[in-house]
This record gives sequence, C-alpha cells and structure tokens, in this order.
Amino acid sequence: MADILLDIQGLSLRYATANGPVTALDAVSLAIPRGGAMGLVGESGSGKSSMLLAMLGLLGKGAAVTADAARFDGQDLLKVAASLRGRRIGTVFQDPSAALNPALTIGMQVAEPLTLHRGMNWREAMERAEGLLAETGIHDPAAVLKAYPHQLSGGMKQRAVIAQALGCEPDLLLLDEPTTALDVTVEAQILDLLDALRARRGISLLLVSHNLGIVDRICDDLTVLYAGRVVEQGPCARVLAGPRHPYARGLMAAMPVISHAKQRLTSIEGNLPDLTLVDPGCNFAPRCPFAVPSCAEPQALAGEGDHRARCHRATETAALPWPEQDQARVSMEAAPERRPLLEARGMSRRFAGHGGLWRSLDWRGGWPKLAPRKSVVAVDDVTIEVRSGEVLGLVGESGSGKSTLGRLLLRLVPADAGQLEFGGTEVPLRPSSDFCQQAQIIFQNPDSALNPHHTVQEILKRPLELFGIAKGAAAGAEIDRLLDLVRLPRSYRTRYPHQMSGGEKQRIGIARALAGRPRFIVCDEAVSALDVSVQAAVLNLLSDLRAQFGLSYLFISHDIGVIAHISDRIAVMYRGAIVQQGEAAELLRGPHHPYTASLLSAVPVVGSARSQAGNRIRLAENAMAAPGEKGCSFASRCPQQLGSLCRTQVPAQRRLSNGVMMACHLPDAQLETVSLGLS
Amino acid sequence: MTAVAQKRRRRHVPLILVVGAAIVVCMVLIGLIGPWIAPYDPTMFAVRSRMQPPSGLHWFGTDEFGRDVLSRILAGGYYSLAMGFGATAISLIVGVPLGLMAAFYRGWVDDVIMRIIDLMISLPPILVGLLILAVTSPGLGKTIVAVGLVYVPIMTRLTRSVALSVLAQDFIEAAAARKEKTFYILWREVLPNVWPTIIVETSLRITFAILLGSALSFLGLGPQPPASEWGLMIAESRPFLDRAPWIGLAPGLCLCVLLVAVNFVGEGLRDLLDPRMQGRGHG
Repeated sequence: MADILLDIQGLSLRYATANGPVTALDAVSLAIPRGGAMGLVGESGSGKSSMLLAMLGLLGKGAAVTADAARFDGQDLLKVAASLRGRRIGTVFQDPSAALNPALTIGMQVAEPLTLHRGMNWREAMERAEGLLAETGIHDPAAVLKAYPHQLSGGMKQRAVIAQALGCEPDLLLLDEPTTALDVTVEAQILDLLDALRARRGISLLLVSHNLGIVDRICDDLTVLYAGRVVEQGPCARVLAGPRHPYARGLMAAMPVISHAKQRLTSIEGNLPDLTLVDPGCNFAPRCPFAVPSCAEPQALAGEGDHRARCHRATETAALPWPEQDQARVSMEAAPERRPLLEARGMSRRFAGHGGLWRSLDWRGGWPKLAPRKSVVAVDDVTIEVRSGEVLGLVGESGSGKSTLGRLLLRLVPADAGQLEFGGTEVPLRPSSDFCQQAQIIFQNPDSALNPHHTVQEILKRPLELFGIAKGAAAGAEIDRLLDLVRLPRSYRTRYPHQMSGGEKQRIGIARALAGRPRFIVCDEAVSALDVSVQAAVLNLLSDLRAQFGLSYLFISHDIGVIAHISDRIAVMYRGAIVQQGEAAELLRGPHHPYTASLLSAVPVVGSARSQAGNRIRLAENAMAAPGEKGCSFASRCPQQLGSLCRTQVPAQRRLSNGVMMACHLPDAQLETVSLGLS
Repeated sequence: MTAVAQKRRRRHVPLILVVGAAIVVCMVLIGLIGPWIAPYDPTMFAVRSRMQPPSGLHWFGTDEFGRDVLSRILAGGYYSLAMGFGATAISLIVGVPLGLMAAFYRGWVDDVIMRIIDLMISLPPILVGLLILAVTSPGLGKTIVAVGLVYVPIMTRLTRSVALSVLAQDFIEAAAARKEKTFYILWREVLPNVWPTIIVETSLRITFAILLGSALSFLGLGPQPPASEWGLMIAESRPFLDRAPWIGLAPGLCLCVLLVAVNFVGEGLRDLLDPRMQGRGHG
C-alpha cells in the first residue's frame, strides 16, 4: 500500500436543527495516498461540502463530528485541523469572484498567507507571490500582482485563488467545485493546471464535483456519496466503466453525452431522504428501481478488491437494464415540420455602459471633456430561424449574448435593429398580447423564477385568466391538467415555492410557460441550475412536451452535451455573433468552426477524458481585439488565425457542402483539419 | 371551501402579533374614550396640590400646576396616537408609490424622484416644522402632515432599494413576457415582497413620528398648552425632573409601551405575510 496521507475512517457529522438532529454524514471512510487524487461526487445535499468543512474544522457550533480515525500524515485531523488549514491543507472554493476580496490587490491576497504562516516580510512574500502566479500559468504575474479582482477574468481569478492555496506548500488541496463557475474552455485550462501541479509538486487532491467527466479527467479514485453515506468507492476508471450501485449507475446514465445524442436520459425519481430519520437499511431504496424488501436490512460496503459498493444486489442488478419509469414515452424522432415559425433577421442590440451624464466626463489629458458613453455589443447582426416543432440549440460561453438573443426574440428586450417575424407576420417592438401568449420563456434559476409570495395555484391561474383560456372552476381544472403535464401531484397547487425542491420549482416554471398554450418557448439555461439526475428528468419532460404539443424551443445552454442531446439544429454563438449553425448531427460531425471545435474538445467526457486532454485545442487568453480593428470576433483567440484578413474583415456566413452555415475565413480544406484532432 | 379560505386557515397567527395588537387596541381605546373617563379635569389648576407624588388619589401624581397626570395622559392620548398613525400613514401613502415608481421606471423618472427626495432629506425636520409654523397657524392636522412629509424620503428610499432587488428577479420578467400591466407588476408581484421590510420600518416610524410631533408641539407647532399631548407633557416636565420625575415618567412609560406594542405588531405582521414562516413541515 502506498504512503497514505489522509486516512478517514467512519466519520459522522450531526447537526442539531429545529426538527431534530440531522445526520449529514454517516460513517464516511476515505483514504488518499500521498500524491493521489480522490473525487467526491453526489447530488446537492449529499454531504460533499460538509465533508470538506469537517476536514477543515470549519463547521459551526451546532455540528458534532465523530470519527473512528481521522489521520492526516499521522496526526489526528479532528484535533489539529485548525492549525493545518491554510498551511498543509489548501482550499479552493467554487466561485473565485466570491473567494477574492474586491478591495485588495491580487498580490496582497496571495502574499498574505505567506506573511501569516511562513513568517515572511511583505517584500519576500510579494516576490514569492509573483512566482506562485507564474506557476499557475499567469503570463504577466507582475501586472496581475497589482491588479484588483474585477480586472481579471474568471479563469485568471481562479488561478490566483489556486496560487493563494499553494503558497504554504500544502500536501493536500481541497477543491470544492473549482470549475463549476467557469466557461468550459477555461475549465479545461484549470484542469490542465491541476494535473500539472500534481505531477510537479506531488500534491494530493480531494476534488468535489458533480461533473463525472472532470473527476475522470483528474482523479485516481472516486467516492460516490448519497445522503451522507458512501455508496460506492473505488478506482475512478473501474467505477466509471462499471458502476455497481444503482445510484451511481443512475448518475452515469443521467448525463447527456454528445456521442449518444437523442438517446432518452435516465432519471432518478424522487428526492433525497429526510436526514432527520436515520434509515438503518439502504437509504436509496425508496428511489431505487431494483429495490426489494431485503433492502431494509443494513448494507455494508462490499465488493471485489478496492471497488466496493453499498448494495447487496450489486452483482444481480448489474446485468439488468435500467427500468423506464417515465409514464409518457413519446418518440424522440418526431419529424419536425419544415416551415419556419420564427424568423429573425439582422437582430442587433447594444447595452449602454454605466453612468449618466455626470459620469461620462473624461479626465484624461488633464482637462475634463464630455466622453461618449461606452456601449457593449451584446448581439451583433444575428439572423436566425426556428422552425415549427423544432429545437434550436444555442450554445456559447457566458457573455456571448445567448440570453440577450433569447430575449430579443421574445421582444422582452427591444432590438436596436432587425426584423422579427412570427408565424409569417411581423412582430412590432411592442408585441401584441397574442404574440406573448404564443412565445414564452423558461428561466435558469428556479428560485428566482417564482414569486415567493404566490402559491402554485396563483402562479398558474394568472396566465390562464390573462390570456382568456379559463376562468373560475374551469381554471381549476386547467391547473390540474398543467400539473399533470409536468408530472407533479395535484395537491401541489396550495404550495409556496419554498415548499418545493429545485426540480419541482422548475416544473412549475415550465407549467407557467405552458399555461398560455404557446407554440414557441425560449429555454434559457433551463436545466443548468439542476442536479444531473433532476436535469435528466426535466430534459425528458421538455422532450415529451415538445412531441406532444409540437412546440418549438430555442434551447440556450453553455453545456454542449445538453445542447447535443436535445437539439435538432444547433447555433454556436461567440461574442454576439453566430459563428456556425446547422443540423445538429452534421454540425457535430464537422467540419467545425475553430470556436466550436474548441468547445467540443474542452468538454471532459467520461471514459476518454484523459486521452482527450492531450489533443485538446488550446485557446489564447480571452484578449480583447485591438481597438479600431473590427474583424472576426474570435480572431484574437483563434489558433488557426490567418493574420490581417481575420483581424480586419468580418467573415461572411457561407453554406458548406453538408448544409451547415459557417462564418469563418478558413478555406474548406483547412476547416477539415480543425476537426481532425477531435474524433 | 374556497382555496383562499383554506390558505388563511392554515396560517397560524404569531403570538407576538396577538399580544402587540391587544396592547395597541387598548391604547387606541384609551385615546378615543380617555377624555370621558379621566378622573379629573385635565386642565384644572390646583395650586395647593402641586407636584404630588403618585398616591391613591392621584395614581400618577400631579404636575407643577397641580393637574392630575393620569387625567392628562388619558385626555392627550388622542393627539399622540393621531400624530403617530396619521403621519406614518401619510409617509406610506406618498413614499411607497414614489419608491416603486423610481425603481420600476429607472432613468430620468428615478433621477427626478430621488433628487427631490435628497432635497427633502437635506432639510432638518425641525426647520421644516418651523417654516410651516412661520407661514400658518399651529394645529394638529398641519403637524401630522409636516411630520408625515419628513418621513417620506425614508419610505421612498427603503421601498426603492428593496423593489430594485425584487425587480431583478426572473418572475418579473415572466410577468413582462405575459405582457402584464405595470400596475399589476408593482401591486401583485413587487409589493408583496417589499411589504415585510416596509412594515418593520413603519412600526419604528410610528414612535419616531410621535416624538417628532412632540418636539414640534414644544416649539409651538401643533397642539398647544394646555392641551396634554404626551410628547408635550414630557417636554414640559423637563425642568422638574429632579423634584417630580413622575410628571415626565408616566407619559414616557405610555410612549414606551406603545412603541414596544407597535413593534410587536410589525414583527408579527411580517411573519404572517411571509409564506416562508408559515406551514413549515410541508416542504
């Protein structure tokens, strides 16, 4: 056995709450060898973050941590956690914007732990900080040292946070969803960095993530948590290749994968169990499709060698197919009609910068002069069409203008230029109530999408009455029908949003959008805030509803896996412009626009994450184009850039032989090579 | 049973609201019928029994002119309560819609409203009172309006800041996607989320209004001596604080009880109106 750095046996965590004690972690054991990397996965509420906080000794007063053994390099972790954290255990949290103090320079924040823990003076610490920033792959560390967090991109900030954690030469780095807040191309760079740090420094990692692809990319071992218990543990490759516990299997099957687009996703029905009631038997049994009465017996982690699962039927069920639980099964391949439903031509929208008249005085040059307001182009001359019964997937990084485009198509944000036609008629800037009824929206964040002061009934009744669909008792029946459609019990009509889970709230959001019997729905990152199993269920629901009612969706997402799963056609957006659009299968097969190719290559895919990392397309940092030059918006980051042509001329949309529209100066032959590294 | 009735029945009323409301109702009753149940004439001088400590004859003692303090409290409650509730109502009626409008329309509407509010804040309230006093004759109604206007800026700013965060939420955009009228969005979507904050502020404001009203009375605006407004009584008792503390203590105590009770009502109402504090255990 290798030299074990962290060895935790039977760690339990209980919180005292108003409803009685909650068992957040129940006898969790895990071990990380020196230089090893362990992944910790599970849906939200499974206790992943509690585990990290317990190891750091950062839990509040109401929490009671007990363990049979918790040793870090031979010391009792529970006793010395406070003295280890920041010194021998470094931590990187999810959101780098929240982890850095906006009022201090990066240099001060990276140097501060050095002065505190290593007794350096500020000068030495600053020099060391510069070295650390360079080590995390920041090109100009001296400049970044003096920068404030808001001047850096998300990826740069996360690098600075990692530099901060590395300062005291920790043996173990705890990473809590370190890339969840980042774009996929940036995420890939951070993962490269973590890999390199491991190889160079021999540092151990504990990576908490909901993304199995990332875990596969970085980690040797994998622990799957469910409701505070370890349900499966073993070497990453073996667990992911053949998950034994039904929960782990469900998680795997719930992930949309680009290569298996259009296959129905597996969803795990139900919710996490009530953690105030400790279930002596298998606590997954109520949601498990393979549950039998004997599952009520206490279960032990068992299995051959180091791949163990907490399921007594693991061997039997491994051979069984996953039973389909969704009631409504409609064929995914409903051939969409080819008539365009919504057509937008030359849509543009700029947003004025902050500040009114008084803040636009420019003091450069010593004298005040009135400067024109800065504006940001969110959507730049976009022409797009959504056909009847079709799902158009819109993919791109944050800030690419996807959401603005979605709102332009609903006339929620007035366009600066461009025409919009819906069902063959022109939609004016102030649309008719009829258009609003036909074109609806589903939001990303279920917490913000529902008014906390309205019951489900009030939420659903309003559009029914407003659009004159039903009143009084008829409205009651219609609400029941809507709840049936989104597969929620009718008793939910009296609930307030806070009484529902995230997935349930999202279903209410969908029901509200459906209430007016629309033909077109903009799904703005509609599944991005949900756990992977819930995401699968909501994606299935959206597919079914679309088949049932012939709906058209504009499906906006940053996750190209989700887009590939649900879309008939795909449009790729970069900095306000559509760089490529076409039939989903053709577009994914290639040839790809250089940006599409980088997006596709950046997604860590379970099973091939490591091999794929080698031939990933690497983008330059997100540099702004030189002022005055208006060429291809992607030119400054494009690895295939052709020089001044790309920088000075906007590429026109042209149709490739496979029917895909592409905005790129590269000749066809060269476009083929862009995609070669992928397959 | 209608759904609304079901919903109401499930809401349990917080105890703090019941206690607070009971005290406030008592105070209001006293304010209304006080003049008729007062044991003595509140304005009658009795030079021989000046500054007598509390006794069986005079429960709260007598003041520097020998007037019965209890009778004066009973007779003057009306002024104080009218001042507190009236002025706060004015600040709500004017301030909340202004705040909602500023938050909803933004742009120049916001600028104009907020600059006027800034102007109002920059004037010291006592000065405003004196200004009004200088051009008109004193009276209860005018004092109420003056005090109410003084508190408009606070209500507007508070409403605006809370409304801004509510308006940034997606359910507002959902309403816009249904093409709801502005009034519906402000009244049905925004206001319920703003109320809890406003109610807590209001419950504090009522007591401040009574005190400010008293200060204006003291300066000669509002109810004039020998009227027995509570704040005025406290102000008049100041010179005798060392010899006869009960003169100011009794009305002060009444103000305190009213303040605490109104705050109880405020907190209770906030909890009652917040669905998250209701029906726990369904989730």
